[in-house]
Amino acid sequence: MAIHQTCDGVRRRDVLKIGAFGAGLTLAQYMRLAEAGDVKAAPAKAGIFIHLAGGPSHMDTFDLKPDAPKEYRGLFSPIATNVAGIQISEHLPKLAQCADKFAILRGVSHTLAAHRLGSEYVNTGTRPVASLEYPGYGAVVSREMPSGDDIPSFVAIPRNPHQKPGFLGVRYAPLNTGSTPRPGQPFNVRGISIGDGVSMTEVERRKNLLQDLDVAFKGYEQEDQLLAGLDKFSEQAHTIMTSSRSREAFDITKESPAFAAPFGESPFGQSCLLASRLVESGVRFVTISSGGWDTHQDNFTRLKERQLPPLDEGLSALFKGLAEKGLLESTAVFVTGEFGRTPKINSRSAEGGRDHYPRCMFMLMAGGGIRGGQVVGASDDKATGPDSDAITPDDAAATFYHNLGIDYTKEYQSSIGRPITIIRDGAAIKELVG
Amino acid sequence: MIQQNARRVVSWSCVVLSALVAPIAAAGEILAPISQRFASQGGDETPSFQKHVVPLLGRLGCNGRACHGSFQGKGGFRLSLFGYDFKADFLALTDEENARIDLDSPLDSLIIHKPTSEDEHDGGKRYDVGSWNYHVIHRWIKDGAPFERQLEKLVELRVEPTEVRFDRQGQIIQVRAIAVWESGIEEDVTPLCRFSTNDSEVATVDKDGRVVSGVAGDTHIVAAYDKAVVAVPTICPVTDKAGDRYPKIVTKTVVDRLVVEKLRKLGLLPSEICTDEEFLRRVSLDLTGTLPKPKDVREFLLDTRNDKRAQKIEQLLNSPAYAAWWTTKLCDFTGNNSDQTQNATYPRTASPQYWYDWIYRRVEENVAYDELVAGIVLGKSRNEGESYTQYCESMGDIYSANDGATFADRETMPFYWARRDFRQAPERAISFAHSFLGVRIQCAQCHKHPFDQWSKNDFDEFSKFFGGVTASNRSAPDANKEYQAIMAKVDTDGLRGGQLRRKYEQLMKEGGVVPFPEVYVNHRPRPDTDDKSKKKRPVRNAGAKSASLLGREATDLSRIVDPRQPVMDWLRDADNPYFSKAFVNRLWAAYFGVGIVDPPDDMSLANPPSNRALLEHLATGFIEHEFDMKWVHREILNSETYQRSWRPNDTNLHDRRNFSRALPRRLPAEVVYDAIHQATGSDEYVNRWRVEVGDRAIAIAGSGTRMRGNASYALSVFGRNTRESSCDCDRSETPNLLQTIYLQNDEDVIKLIDRRGDGWLSQVAKQLGVIQKKKIPANIITQFERLDTSIKRIAKNGSKEQRRKLTARRKSLVKRYGDPNDVLEVEVNEKVDLRKIIEDAYLRTVSRTPQKSEMDRSLQYINEGDDKVESFRGLVWALINTKEFVVNH
Repeated sequence: MAIHQTCDGVRRRDVLKIGAFGAGLTLAQYMRLAEAGDVKAAPAKAGIFIHLAGGPSHMDTFDLKPDAPKEYRGLFSPIATNVAGIQISEHLPKLAQCADKFAILRGVSHTLAAHRLGSEYVNTGTRPVASLEYPGYGAVVSREMPSGDDIPSFVAIPRNPHQKPGFLGVRYAPLNTGSTPRPGQPFNVRGISIGDGVSMTEVERRKNLLQDLDVAFKGYEQEDQLLAGLDKFSEQAHTIMTSSRSREAFDITKESPAFAAPFGESPFGQSCLLASRLVESGVRFVTISSGGWDTHQDNFTRLKERQLPPLDEGLSALFKGLAEKGLLESTAVFVTGEFGRTPKINSRSAEGGRDHYPRCMFMLMAGGGIRGGQVVGASDDKATGPDSDAITPDDAAATFYHNLGIDYTKEYQSSIGRPITIIRDGAAIKELVG
Repeated sequence: MIQQNARRVVSWSCVVLSALVAPIAAAGEILAPISQRFASQGGDETPSFQKHVVPLLGRLGCNGRACHGSFQGKGGFRLSLFGYDFKADFLALTDEENARIDLDSPLDSLIIHKPTSEDEHDGGKRYDVGSWNYHVIHRWIKDGAPFERQLEKLVELRVEPTEVRFDRQGQIIQVRAIAVWESGIEEDVTPLCRFSTNDSEVATVDKDGRVVSGVAGDTHIVAAYDKAVVAVPTICPVTDKAGDRYPKIVTKTVVDRLVVEKLRKLGLLPSEICTDEEFLRRVSLDLTGTLPKPKDVREFLLDTRNDKRAQKIEQLLNSPAYAAWWTTKLCDFTGNNSDQTQNATYPRTASPQYWYDWIYRRVEENVAYDELVAGIVLGKSRNEGESYTQYCESMGDIYSANDGATFADRETMPFYWARRDFRQAPERAISFAHSFLGVRIQCAQCHKHPFDQWSKNDFDEFSKFFGGVTASNRSAPDANKEYQAIMAKVDTDGLRGGQLRRKYEQLMKEGGVVPFPEVYVNHRPRPDTDDKSKKKRPVRNAGAKSASLLGREATDLSRIVDPRQPVMDWLRDADNPYFSKAFVNRLWAAYFGVGIVDPPDDMSLANPPSNRALLEHLATGFIEHEFDMKWVHREILNSETYQRSWRPNDTNLHDRRNFSRALPRRLPAEVVYDAIHQATGSDEYVNRWRVEVGDRAIAIAGSGTRMRGNASYALSVFGRNTRESSCDCDRSETPNLLQTIYLQNDEDVIKLIDRRGDGWLSQVAKQLGVIQKKKIPANIITQFERLDTSIKRIAKNGSKEQRRKLTARRKSLVKRYGDPNDVLEVEVNEKVDLRKIIEDAYLRTVSRTPQKSEMDRSLQYINEGDDKVESFRGLVWALINTKEFVVNH
């Protein structure tokens, strides 16, 4: 209960608030705000963030330049999509058939060409600074719109080291699944699933024992925030572990084969399947991290054979699956790498590769209030940079937050009480959400 | 227009002084508040820009962060945040392009026109036409908007009363603030102060200085004006036992006396002394980060010596776990983060360990704290008189541990200065203030600190001490030849990055010398230069000719070799207001969960100690005992104040800042992690535990992404210090959901409970005479099944050779995983005393023997289960998940 004094003269008592309105609002406060209209009805109630780790080549996926010189354009040809005038790579045929469901951002640009820095940038919407760790989207969402007590707010598949809770505090950290699910197999998640050999009866039996033995502070639990908090979290942990809602959320075998089949058997596809299921169950934010995009060498073979087919299958199934369940309009989806790749092909291997290139990249957005079936922004004729005004990761982040009904100009306080907006620059992109 | 102003300013400032002094106040009198002097339009006083206009803009909220104090300004008009940059504010008001004042027609000035209008001003109406605020601003413009080039020094801001004492809720007391200026003028500036409260539950204050009492307790009301920040103790007794009606309480130590003196004011009675079991658990966890062993508890309870608690403290102070845990704390304060020092030496991950080892040795030997700090503050790679080549040879010896060489043998620990995020002087100043002064000066990097006396200029002047040390990835320039010579011998084949580092390691293994990175002093004050060339050189390389310690006059650096030396001398100076206090306060905070100043790294004027005399006693004692760290530990731990129960009495349930009882605290991350290992380990394992600390979480050197082993998930969930942002709050001891999920159901914990060999449960199984059922993974069971089928098949018609092969494979599987066909022996050895095992479970988790009701409940649980081992698994699980386990109380 430390008192923090802030640079701007605000003093704040750091009160531990617990429960559904863990962000620091009590239910009563929340209801008052809601009545006063300060809690906006957002288009999206949940978010899925997909990080294509390594930095996918924009020119070989969603921003092809068939007319560029040979040393730029690469080996892939564009194909038409189900939206007139939009073309994407020939190796993404399934996505081409649902291009009406998502928007493509081209000519997105920044300057951080290292994996870690670029990743932190696109996972927070804020250019990393040394002095302060900015919270990732998932941490902000779990603070602003936490799930109910029996299900975690923020799940990372399998983990996402770039979306830390930062100055918001570790309680907004994600639950990491630790691994990706396998097709048709029940999925064990760290800490959530009851291990083999422990029966539900045994779980209840020892829980009763715990209740009877945990009496050292009897009578004082409600007088002390720490003790009250420990009690509350103990109850919630037990609920999560034993609630069917939570266990079933992670159990992808519960999906009908007809629904699950289009996702394919790849780890990425299965992650997308799990994400859709989690969102349906009430998890607020899911990140999927899927690597292999750092194609310095053999760019084309690797994309064609290893990277693009699972992406095409998994992502198109996710868009269609969410739409089929009626969840697409309430789920904000954001797909991005940490940067694009050099337009000019290098000579590191026989067929060449592409290197880190933050000056020009693509992103995808879908769901919630996003108008799909359009391209926003553009790169120049060799995809070496934005054609006119660049879209920044900050703008994309602002759009994403806006879509989730979170005021991106909202101020938080860092641990030493410095006032900080969630993202420093950037504004929502009107064409996407207007 | 500016020039014109400037001219008028000069002529006016003289007039102002005479005008102020002569007609309004006679000598020795206090000028009436400005709200009275300017209540009407008349009079001939000209307001001062420094004393009246800028503070008034502050009171009106103009220079707040949401308004014109924002770094972007608002509506094209920017003021300095909280207004201490008078020159910038004056220029902003009189800016030629965008003047906010109109000398020719004062009433048309924007700073009158806008804030008096609800419609035209985005910030709304700030004052009324005809109010005293209006008269002050109007008169200032009308009189030519004078600006004092030379600021007058505020000698004191005297706030009356010096202590606000309430005796009931809802009472109102007016405080008055009097500015005492260097010229001798005293003015009542109450209407021009910024007032705030440190705890709005205890007392609130409005902008006119009226204090209203809330719930009983104590806090401070803070008044800020000009450079001064004054905190006024505000107190409302909690019970009717305060003051003269306080019962006589015998106090054992000075600490106790000083604490009780404060409690007397509030009418708070201290809690009872805690039990021996509580004391032992508390002091073991606090001092050594380690649970007491069951054996320790039993022995301590049987010990009949009067001074057994003091003896125990001594014993713990001499244990390796003490050195390990307090080294970790010192690594917290100094920011030992492996992400920051990756390339500071070879191999590249070695520096955090070296950092740790270097401090560990000194904590173990109880080297004086100032000496330890000097080794960091004055850290450089080479020992005194050592050549670059000798330094590289020595580092190679340390790498290979030749003749037991370790980094702890080196004279100083330079990596503090090699951290990547702290290469620039301002960042270093911030980090330094945090590490050794317990002060947060970062606000002053951009604007006057709103809660302390530090201005931006103070910050800049202090930063200049830290530009003269360089962390290079090669040698200092003076050793260039040696560096080249070493390079010439090292055949690096044009290798770079990781390959080069591996090559260097290879060479060191072979006894070769490789060129190490070097931290060295690079202080070369330049002769006077004109403004142009100054601009080209950033401050960090400027080789400042002078710099100023916080709150001191300038120090001449032109003849000094290492500009950090005067800073170190200042730290050691008995008059240093922070150094000793910061350390004793952090220790106190570690022992009570709350600092005497809290947060412990925020020693500022607006955040005064809850018990000044207590902080003074410890800080002075620390200096008098020549910075003997163990003296501070002893002084605190031997007090009754430390040894009080957490159980509140009728008076002190809500006391969280006056130490009338112990507050339950969650165990620090490393300590929880280790405690789980210890609680679930066999007796033999536990016996090794306190002695062999190297592998424990309390002895992990660095923080950062490359944390050792599989501890990192648990440690981050429990909030181990990240050592990232120069803040003690980088360590978190608040609970969260993931922690509970971890304790209840994480595979780490389940595995620890179930571990064989050195696990407690398997020891219990042996005691019970039960051959513990082995958990064999499902895929291995499948392998067994396949093998068994094949063996059966081959037994009928296979060759001998095939049979031998298959049997051998099965054997090796059994050796590794156990035989799934082994039947669990359910015959329990009836002679075993289940009560004794239950008692053991209690001792190893919550460090006490169970009460009768607890014993009965546990026995019932064990007896109702079919599988006794399974039941003990349930018991130890339950005990680990009690609040009592994860809390220090």
